[in-house]
Amino acid sequence: MGLQNGYFRPTSVDEALDHLAANDLTIAAGCTDLFPATEQKTLGGPVLDISGITALRGFRKNETGITIGATTTWSDLIAAPLPSAFGGLKLAAREVGARQIQNRGTLAGNLCNASPAADGVPPLLTLDAQVVLASKAGRRVMPLADFLIGPRQTARRADELLEGVHIPASALMGDGQFLKLGARKYLVISIAMVAARLVIADGVVAEAALAIGACGPVAARLPKAEAALVGQPMDPGLINASHLQGYLAPIDDMRADAAYRTTVATELVQRILGRFAESRSA
Amino acid sequence: MSTVSMTVNGKVVASVVEDRTLLVDFIREHLRLTGTHVGCDTSQCGACVVHVNGKAMKSCTMLAAAADGADVTTIEGVANGDLHPMQKAFNDNHGLQCGFCTPGMIMSGIDMVNRYKAEGKTLDEAAIRAELEGNICRCTGYHNIVKSIQQAAGEM
Repeated sequence: MGLQNGYFRPTSVDEALDHLAANDLTIAAGCTDLFPATEQKTLGGPVLDISGITALRGFRKNETGITIGATTTWSDLIAAPLPSAFGGLKLAAREVGARQIQNRGTLAGNLCNASPAADGVPPLLTLDAQVVLASKAGRRVMPLADFLIGPRQTARRADELLEGVHIPASALMGDGQFLKLGARKYLVISIAMVAARLVIADGVVAEAALAIGACGPVAARLPKAEAALVGQPMDPGLINASHLQGYLAPIDDMRADAAYRTTVATELVQRILGRFAESRSA
Repeated sequence: MSTVSMTVNGKVVASVVEDRTLLVDFIREHLRLTGTHVGCDTSQCGACVVHVNGKAMKSCTMLAAAADGADVTTIEGVANGDLHPMQKAFNDNHGLQCGFCTPGMIMSGIDMVNRYKAEGKTLDEAAIRAELEGNICRCTGYHNIVKSIQQAAGEM
Protein backbone atom coordinates (compact mmCIF):
# COMPACT_ATOMS: atom_id res chain seq x y z
CA MET A 1 0.00 0.00 0.00
CA GLY A 2 1.42 3.39 -0.93
CA LEU A 3 0.90 6.93 0.22
CA GLN A 4 -1.87 7.53 -2.30
CA ASN A 5 -3.89 5.10 -0.27
CA GLY A 6 -3.34 7.03 2.93
CA TYR A 7 -3.33 3.85 4.96
CA PHE A 8 -0.33 1.85 6.14
CA ARG A 9 -0.40 -1.35 8.15
CA PRO A 10 3.21 -2.33 8.81
CA THR A 11 4.16 -5.58 10.48
CA SER A 12 7.39 -4.36 12.08
CA VAL A 13 8.43 -1.38 14.20
CA ASP A 14 11.21 -0.46 11.75
CA GLU A 15 8.72 -0.29 8.92
CA ALA A 16 6.41 1.87 11.04
CA LEU A 17 9.25 4.25 11.90
CA ASP A 18 10.13 4.58 8.21
CA HIS A 19 6.57 5.66 7.48
CA LEU A 20 6.56 8.11 10.39
CA ALA A 21 9.84 9.66 9.26
CA ALA A 22 8.50 10.20 5.74
CA ASN A 23 4.91 11.25 6.30
CA ASP A 24 2.62 13.14 8.63
CA LEU A 25 0.42 10.31 9.91
CA THR A 26 -2.28 9.66 12.44
CA ILE A 27 -1.33 6.57 14.42
CA ALA A 28 -4.13 4.07 14.99
CA ALA A 29 -4.06 1.00 17.24
CA GLY A 30 -7.43 -0.18 18.58
CA CYS A 31 -9.17 2.83 17.01
CA THR A 32 -11.71 2.97 19.84
CA ASP A 33 -11.04 6.65 20.54
CA LEU A 34 -10.03 7.60 17.04
CA PHE A 35 -13.34 7.08 15.26
CA PRO A 36 -15.69 8.72 17.76
CA ALA A 37 -13.31 11.71 17.84
CA THR A 38 -13.65 12.29 14.08
CA GLU A 39 -17.46 12.33 14.17
CA GLN A 40 -17.25 11.12 10.58
CA LYS A 41 -17.77 7.83 8.81
CA THR A 42 -14.11 7.49 7.95
CA LEU A 43 -10.85 8.85 9.26
CA GLY A 44 -9.56 12.00 7.64
CA GLY A 45 -5.91 12.04 6.56
CA PRO A 46 -3.36 9.27 6.20
CA VAL A 47 -3.28 6.62 8.89
CA LEU A 48 -0.56 4.37 10.30
CA ASP A 49 -2.31 1.31 11.71
CA ILE A 50 0.06 -0.41 14.15
CA SER A 51 -2.36 -3.21 15.08
CA GLY A 52 -0.49 -5.58 12.76
CA ILE A 53 2.83 -5.29 14.63
CA THR A 54 2.65 -8.44 16.74
CA ALA A 55 6.01 -7.73 18.44
CA LEU A 56 4.40 -4.76 20.19
CA ARG A 57 1.72 -6.85 21.87
CA GLY A 58 2.19 -8.31 25.33
CA PHE A 59 4.41 -8.06 28.38
CA ARG A 60 8.16 -8.30 28.77
CA LYS A 61 9.74 -8.79 32.16
CA ASN A 62 13.38 -8.39 33.12
CA GLU A 63 15.41 -7.17 36.09
CA THR A 64 14.62 -3.52 35.26
CA GLY A 65 10.87 -4.03 35.46
CA ILE A 66 7.90 -4.87 33.24
CA THR A 67 7.28 -3.38 29.79
CA ILE A 68 3.79 -3.37 28.28
CA GLY A 69 3.84 -3.28 24.47
CA ALA A 70 1.95 -0.54 22.65
CA THR A 71 -0.71 -2.76 21.07
CA THR A 72 -1.51 -4.66 24.27
CA THR A 73 -5.27 -4.48 24.78
CA TRP A 74 -7.21 -3.93 27.97
CA SER A 75 -8.41 -7.55 27.78
CA ASP A 76 -4.78 -8.70 27.52
CA LEU A 77 -4.04 -6.68 30.63
CA ILE A 78 -7.00 -8.12 32.57
CA ALA A 79 -5.96 -11.68 31.68
CA ALA A 80 -2.22 -11.28 32.33
CA PRO A 81 -0.59 -12.68 35.46
CA LEU A 82 0.91 -9.50 36.92
CA PRO A 83 2.09 -8.47 40.42
CA SER A 84 -0.63 -7.12 42.74
CA ALA A 85 0.87 -3.66 42.32
CA PHE A 86 -0.99 -3.75 38.99
CA GLY A 87 -4.31 -4.25 40.80
CA GLY A 88 -5.38 -0.66 40.16
CA LEU A 89 -4.50 -0.83 36.48
CA LYS A 90 -6.47 -4.07 36.10
CA LEU A 91 -9.52 -2.51 37.77
CA ALA A 92 -9.20 0.50 35.46
CA ALA A 93 -9.00 -1.84 32.45
CA ARG A 94 -12.40 -3.25 33.38
CA GLU A 95 -13.86 0.27 33.40
CA VAL A 96 -12.74 1.21 29.89
CA GLY A 97 -15.84 0.96 27.71
CA ALA A 98 -17.19 -2.57 27.80
CA ARG A 99 -15.69 -5.97 26.95
CA GLN A 100 -15.95 -5.41 23.18
CA ILE A 101 -13.97 -2.18 23.55
CA GLN A 102 -11.50 -3.79 25.96
CA ASN A 103 -10.85 -6.39 23.26
CA ARG A 104 -9.73 -3.67 20.82
CA GLY A 105 -8.60 -0.64 22.80
CA THR A 106 -4.98 -0.38 23.88
CA LEU A 107 -3.23 1.08 26.90
CA ALA A 108 -0.83 3.04 24.68
CA GLY A 109 -3.74 4.50 22.73
CA ASN A 110 -5.29 5.64 25.98
CA LEU A 111 -2.07 7.53 26.76
CA CYS A 112 -1.56 9.06 23.30
CA ASN A 113 -5.19 10.12 23.17
CA ALA A 114 -4.36 12.11 26.32
CA SER A 115 -7.86 12.64 27.63
CA PRO A 116 -7.82 14.19 31.12
CA ALA A 117 -10.33 11.44 31.97
CA ALA A 118 -8.19 8.54 30.66
CA ASP A 119 -8.76 5.72 33.15
CA GLY A 120 -5.36 4.17 32.51
CA VAL A 121 -3.34 7.18 33.59
CA PRO A 122 -3.79 7.44 37.40
CA PRO A 123 -2.91 3.77 38.01
CA LEU A 124 0.13 4.11 35.74
CA LEU A 125 1.25 7.22 37.62
CA THR A 126 1.17 5.22 40.86
CA LEU A 127 3.38 2.65 39.11
CA ASP A 128 5.95 5.36 38.19
CA ALA A 129 5.31 4.47 34.54
CA GLN A 130 7.69 5.59 31.82
CA VAL A 131 6.93 5.72 28.12
CA VAL A 132 9.33 4.48 25.47
CA LEU A 133 9.29 6.64 22.34
CA ALA A 134 10.95 5.26 19.22
CA SER A 135 11.95 7.06 16.05
CA LYS A 136 14.53 6.68 13.28
CA ALA A 137 16.81 8.83 15.47
CA GLY A 138 16.66 6.30 18.31
CA ARG A 139 14.73 5.77 21.49
CA ARG A 140 14.01 7.98 24.46
CA VAL A 141 12.37 7.15 27.74
CA MET A 142 10.45 9.69 29.79
CA PRO A 143 8.19 9.60 32.83
CA LEU A 144 4.51 9.39 31.93
CA ALA A 145 4.00 12.53 34.00
CA ASP A 146 6.23 14.45 31.56
CA PHE A 147 4.73 12.78 28.48
CA LEU A 148 1.24 14.09 29.22
CA ILE A 149 1.33 17.84 28.68
CA GLY A 150 -2.34 18.80 28.62
CA PRO A 151 -5.75 17.80 27.28
CA ARG A 152 -5.10 15.88 24.02
CA GLN A 153 -1.45 16.99 24.13
CA THR A 154 1.62 14.82 24.59
CA ALA A 155 5.37 15.20 24.24
CA ARG A 156 5.40 12.71 21.35
CA ARG A 157 7.04 14.13 18.24
CA ALA A 158 5.29 13.50 14.93
CA ASP A 159 8.02 11.05 13.87
CA GLU A 160 7.83 9.06 17.10
CA LEU A 161 5.93 5.92 17.99
CA LEU A 162 5.00 5.14 21.58
CA GLU A 163 6.49 1.68 21.62
CA GLY A 164 5.71 0.63 25.15
CA VAL A 165 5.07 1.53 28.76
CA HIS A 166 7.74 0.56 31.26
CA ILE A 167 7.06 -0.03 34.94
CA PRO A 168 10.34 0.09 36.87
CA ALA A 169 11.13 -2.75 39.25
CA SER A 170 11.12 -0.27 42.15
CA ALA A 171 7.37 0.32 41.62
CA LEU A 172 6.32 -3.33 41.55
CA MET A 173 5.89 -3.56 45.31
CA GLY A 174 2.62 -3.40 47.23
CA ASP A 175 -1.03 -3.51 46.16
CA GLY A 176 -2.81 -1.34 43.63
CA GLN A 177 -6.38 -0.05 43.72
CA PHE A 178 -8.57 2.07 41.45
CA LEU A 179 -11.85 3.85 42.10
CA LYS A 180 -13.91 5.69 39.53
CA LEU A 181 -16.87 7.98 39.97
CA GLY A 182 -19.30 8.23 37.07
CA ALA A 183 -22.90 9.27 36.61
CA ARG A 184 -23.84 5.58 36.35
CA LYS A 185 -22.13 2.30 36.99
CA TYR A 186 -21.30 1.14 33.47
CA LEU A 187 -19.96 2.53 30.20
CA VAL A 188 -19.31 5.98 31.51
CA ILE A 189 -16.63 8.64 31.33
CA SER A 190 -15.19 9.48 34.72
CA ILE A 191 -16.26 12.52 36.71
CA ALA A 192 -13.19 11.81 38.79
CA MET A 193 -11.07 8.78 39.58
CA VAL A 194 -8.28 7.87 41.97
CA ALA A 195 -5.59 5.22 41.98
CA ALA A 196 -3.43 4.07 44.84
CA ARG A 197 -0.47 1.77 45.32
CA LEU A 198 0.53 1.16 48.90
CA VAL A 199 3.19 -0.92 50.54
CA ILE A 200 1.99 -1.75 54.04
CA ALA A 201 4.33 -3.54 56.43
CA ASP A 202 3.17 -4.58 59.90
CA GLY A 203 0.15 -2.33 59.57
CA VAL A 204 2.26 0.73 58.83
CA VAL A 205 2.37 2.43 55.43
CA ALA A 206 5.92 2.01 54.14
CA GLU A 207 5.35 3.45 50.70
CA ALA A 208 2.41 5.37 49.21
CA ALA A 209 1.60 6.38 45.66
CA LEU A 210 -1.69 8.22 45.02
CA ALA A 211 -2.96 9.77 41.81
CA ILE A 212 -6.11 11.56 40.74
CA GLY A 213 -7.64 11.92 37.28
CA ALA A 214 -10.29 14.07 35.59
CA CYS A 215 -9.66 16.81 38.15
CA GLY A 216 -7.24 18.87 36.08
CA PRO A 217 -5.79 19.11 32.55
CA VAL A 218 -3.74 15.99 33.25
CA ALA A 219 -3.91 13.35 35.96
CA ALA A 220 -1.56 14.03 38.85
CA ARG A 221 0.17 12.39 41.78
CA LEU A 222 -0.76 13.64 45.23
CA PRO A 223 2.60 13.97 47.03
CA LYS A 224 1.24 15.79 50.08
CA ALA A 225 -1.32 13.08 50.73
CA GLU A 226 1.32 10.40 50.13
CA ALA A 227 3.63 12.03 52.67
CA ALA A 228 0.82 12.20 55.22
CA LEU A 229 0.37 8.41 55.00
CA VAL A 230 3.96 7.16 55.08
CA GLY A 231 5.11 5.94 58.48
CA GLN A 232 1.57 5.93 59.88
CA PRO A 233 -0.78 3.05 60.63
CA MET A 234 -3.21 2.78 57.67
CA ASP A 235 -6.11 5.16 58.33
CA PRO A 236 -8.17 6.92 55.61
CA GLY A 237 -8.89 9.68 58.16
CA LEU A 238 -5.28 10.85 57.80
CA ILE A 239 -6.30 12.56 54.56
CA ASN A 240 -8.37 15.71 54.32
CA ALA A 241 -9.00 18.36 51.67
CA SER A 242 -5.85 20.29 52.57
CA HIS A 243 -3.67 17.42 51.32
CA LEU A 244 -5.16 17.77 47.84
CA GLN A 245 -5.00 21.54 47.70
CA GLY A 246 -2.78 22.77 44.89
CA TYR A 247 -3.01 19.52 42.95
CA LEU A 248 -6.54 19.95 41.61
CA ALA A 249 -7.60 22.23 38.76
CA PRO A 250 -10.98 20.83 37.75
CA ILE A 251 -13.25 22.28 35.10
CA ASP A 252 -17.01 22.65 34.83
CA ASP A 253 -18.36 20.39 32.12
CA MET A 254 -21.41 18.34 31.23
CA ARG A 255 -20.41 15.62 33.70
CA ALA A 256 -19.91 17.74 36.82
CA ASP A 257 -18.89 21.19 37.95
CA ALA A 258 -15.53 22.07 39.42
CA ALA A 259 -16.81 22.50 42.95
CA TYR A 260 -18.32 19.02 42.92
CA ARG A 261 -15.12 17.51 41.57
CA THR A 262 -13.09 19.23 44.28
CA THR A 263 -15.39 17.86 46.96
CA VAL A 264 -15.48 14.29 45.67
CA ALA A 265 -11.72 14.17 45.14
CA THR A 266 -11.03 14.01 48.88
CA GLU A 267 -13.93 11.61 49.39
CA LEU A 268 -12.60 9.27 46.69
CA VAL A 269 -9.10 9.28 48.18
CA GLN A 270 -10.53 8.41 51.59
CA ARG A 271 -12.67 5.64 50.10
CA ILE A 272 -9.83 4.06 48.17
CA LEU A 273 -7.67 4.11 51.29
CA GLY A 274 -10.58 2.50 53.11
CA ARG A 275 -10.19 -0.51 50.83
CA PHE A 276 -6.63 -1.01 52.10
CA ALA A 277 -7.79 -0.61 55.69
CA GLU A 278 -10.52 -3.24 55.07
CA SER A 279 -8.22 -5.75 53.43
CA ARG A 280 -5.78 -5.37 56.32
CA SER A 281 -8.40 -6.09 58.97
CA ALA A 282 -9.97 -8.91 56.91
CA MET B 1 -7.95 1.39 -2.18
CA SER B 2 -6.68 -1.91 -0.92
CA THR B 3 -7.63 -5.54 -1.09
CA VAL B 4 -8.80 -7.08 2.14
CA SER B 5 -9.31 -10.76 2.59
CA MET B 6 -10.83 -12.51 5.56
CA THR B 7 -12.96 -15.47 6.51
CA VAL B 8 -16.54 -14.48 7.23
CA ASN B 9 -18.90 -17.14 8.55
CA GLY B 10 -16.57 -19.85 7.26
CA LYS B 11 -16.17 -18.47 3.75
CA VAL B 12 -13.10 -16.71 2.43
CA VAL B 13 -14.06 -13.29 1.08
CA ALA B 14 -11.92 -10.71 -0.64
CA SER B 15 -12.86 -7.25 -1.75
CA VAL B 16 -11.25 -4.03 -2.86
CA VAL B 17 -12.25 -1.33 -0.39
CA GLU B 18 -11.41 2.25 0.39
CA ASP B 19 -8.62 1.94 2.96
CA ARG B 20 -10.50 3.47 5.82
CA THR B 21 -13.69 1.45 5.39
CA LEU B 22 -15.05 0.31 8.73
CA LEU B 23 -15.50 -3.40 9.27
CA VAL B 24 -19.23 -2.92 9.78
CA ASP B 25 -19.57 -1.16 6.42
CA PHE B 26 -17.55 -3.89 4.77
CA ILE B 27 -19.89 -6.51 6.24
CA ARG B 28 -23.08 -4.64 5.40
CA GLU B 29 -22.28 -2.88 2.14
CA HIS B 30 -19.74 -5.16 0.47
CA LEU B 31 -20.92 -8.55 1.73
CA ARG B 32 -24.58 -7.49 2.04
CA LEU B 33 -24.78 -9.20 5.43
CA THR B 34 -27.18 -6.72 6.97
CA GLY B 35 -27.91 -8.62 10.15
CA THR B 36 -25.11 -6.67 11.81
CA HIS B 37 -26.65 -3.33 12.69
CA VAL B 38 -25.30 0.17 13.17
CA GLY B 39 -27.01 1.90 16.06
CA CYS B 40 -24.91 4.73 17.40
CA ASP B 41 -21.83 4.73 15.13
CA THR B 42 -19.78 5.75 18.18
CA SER B 43 -18.96 2.36 19.73
CA GLN B 44 -21.45 2.64 22.55
CA CYS B 45 -24.64 0.76 21.71
CA GLY B 46 -23.29 -2.67 20.70
CA ALA B 47 -25.72 -3.33 17.83
CA CYS B 48 -22.69 -3.95 15.58
CA VAL B 49 -20.98 -6.63 17.70
CA VAL B 50 -19.34 -9.43 15.71
CA HIS B 51 -16.72 -11.98 16.66
CA VAL B 52 -13.19 -11.41 15.36
CA ASN B 53 -10.91 -14.38 15.94
CA GLY B 54 -13.39 -15.59 18.54
CA LYS B 55 -13.65 -12.34 20.49
CA ALA B 56 -16.58 -9.93 20.61
CA MET B 57 -15.79 -6.59 19.05
CA LYS B 58 -17.71 -3.56 17.94
CA SER B 59 -17.36 -3.61 14.17
CA CYS B 60 -18.05 0.13 13.92
CA THR B 61 -14.81 0.81 15.73
CA MET B 62 -12.59 -1.35 13.59
CA LEU B 63 -11.18 -0.98 10.10
CA ALA B 64 -11.91 -3.71 7.59
CA ALA B 65 -8.20 -3.62 6.74
CA ALA B 66 -7.34 -4.30 10.38
CA ALA B 67 -9.36 -7.51 10.07
CA ASP B 68 -7.35 -8.64 7.06
CA GLY B 69 -6.65 -12.34 7.51
CA ALA B 70 -9.01 -12.62 10.47
CA ASP B 71 -11.81 -15.08 11.13
CA VAL B 72 -15.05 -13.12 11.48
CA THR B 73 -18.44 -14.43 12.59
CA THR B 74 -21.61 -12.38 12.20
CA ILE B 75 -25.16 -13.11 13.33
CA GLU B 76 -25.76 -14.83 9.98
CA GLY B 77 -23.04 -17.35 10.81
CA VAL B 78 -24.02 -18.57 14.27
CA ALA B 79 -26.79 -21.01 13.27
CA ASN B 80 -25.65 -24.43 12.14
CA GLY B 81 -28.71 -25.75 10.36
CA ASP B 82 -30.82 -25.33 13.49
CA LEU B 83 -30.88 -22.09 15.40
CA HIS B 84 -27.97 -21.52 17.77
CA PRO B 85 -29.01 -22.15 21.41
CA MET B 86 -28.65 -18.40 22.03
CA GLN B 87 -30.99 -17.58 19.13
CA LYS B 88 -33.48 -20.19 20.31
CA ALA B 89 -33.36 -18.81 23.85
CA PHE B 90 -34.11 -15.27 22.63
CA ASN B 91 -37.05 -16.75 20.71
CA ASP B 92 -38.30 -18.82 23.68
CA ASN B 93 -38.08 -15.93 26.15
CA HIS B 94 -39.17 -13.15 23.84
CA GLY B 95 -35.78 -11.55 24.40
CA LEU B 96 -36.52 -8.68 22.05
CA GLN B 97 -38.99 -5.94 21.45
CA CYS B 98 -38.19 -3.93 18.31
CA GLY B 99 -35.30 -6.30 17.57
CA PHE B 100 -32.76 -3.72 16.47
CA CYS B 101 -30.25 -4.51 19.22
CA THR B 102 -30.84 -8.27 19.04
CA PRO B 103 -27.99 -9.32 16.71
CA GLY B 104 -25.49 -7.54 18.94
CA MET B 105 -27.10 -8.93 22.09
CA ILE B 106 -26.86 -12.47 20.72
CA MET B 107 -23.23 -12.05 19.65
CA SER B 108 -22.30 -10.61 23.06
CA GLY B 109 -24.36 -13.32 24.77
CA ILE B 110 -22.49 -16.11 22.96
CA ASP B 111 -19.17 -14.45 23.76
CA MET B 112 -19.89 -14.16 27.46
CA VAL B 113 -21.15 -17.74 27.80
CA ASN B 114 -18.08 -19.08 25.96
CA ARG B 115 -15.74 -16.95 28.02
CA TYR B 116 -17.24 -17.89 31.38
CA LYS B 117 -17.23 -21.57 30.41
CA ALA B 118 -13.57 -21.41 29.35
CA GLU B 119 -12.68 -19.75 32.66
CA GLY B 120 -14.83 -22.17 34.65
CA LYS B 121 -16.90 -19.35 36.14
CA THR B 122 -20.64 -19.25 36.76
CA LEU B 123 -22.58 -16.84 34.58
CA ASP B 124 -25.38 -15.83 36.97
CA GLU B 125 -27.92 -13.07 36.52
CA ALA B 126 -25.73 -10.42 38.11
CA ALA B 127 -22.79 -11.39 35.88
CA ILE B 128 -24.99 -11.27 32.76
CA ARG B 129 -26.25 -7.80 33.66
CA ALA B 130 -22.69 -6.58 34.25
CA GLU B 131 -21.43 -8.20 31.04
CA LEU B 132 -24.21 -6.54 29.04
CA GLU B 133 -22.80 -3.09 29.77
CA GLY B 134 -21.67 -2.69 26.17
CA ASN B 135 -25.06 -3.46 24.63
CA ILE B 136 -27.92 -1.02 24.84
CA CYS B 137 -31.60 -1.87 24.27
CA ARG B 138 -33.55 1.27 23.57
CA CYS B 139 -36.81 -0.53 24.28
CA THR B 140 -35.31 -1.31 27.72
CA GLY B 141 -36.24 -4.96 27.30
CA TYR B 142 -33.35 -6.16 29.42
CA HIS B 143 -35.32 -8.47 31.67
CA ASN B 144 -36.10 -11.00 28.94
CA ILE B 145 -32.68 -10.55 27.34
CA VAL B 146 -31.08 -11.59 30.64
CA LYS B 147 -33.49 -14.55 30.90
CA SER B 148 -32.60 -15.60 27.35
CA ILE B 149 -28.87 -15.56 28.01
CA GLN B 150 -29.41 -17.46 31.27
CA GLN B 151 -31.32 -20.18 29.41
CA ALA B 152 -28.71 -20.42 26.66
CA ALA B 153 -25.90 -20.57 29.23
CA GLY B 154 -27.48 -23.77 30.51
CA GLU B 155 -27.74 -25.27 27.04
CA MET B 156 -24.45 -24.25 25.42
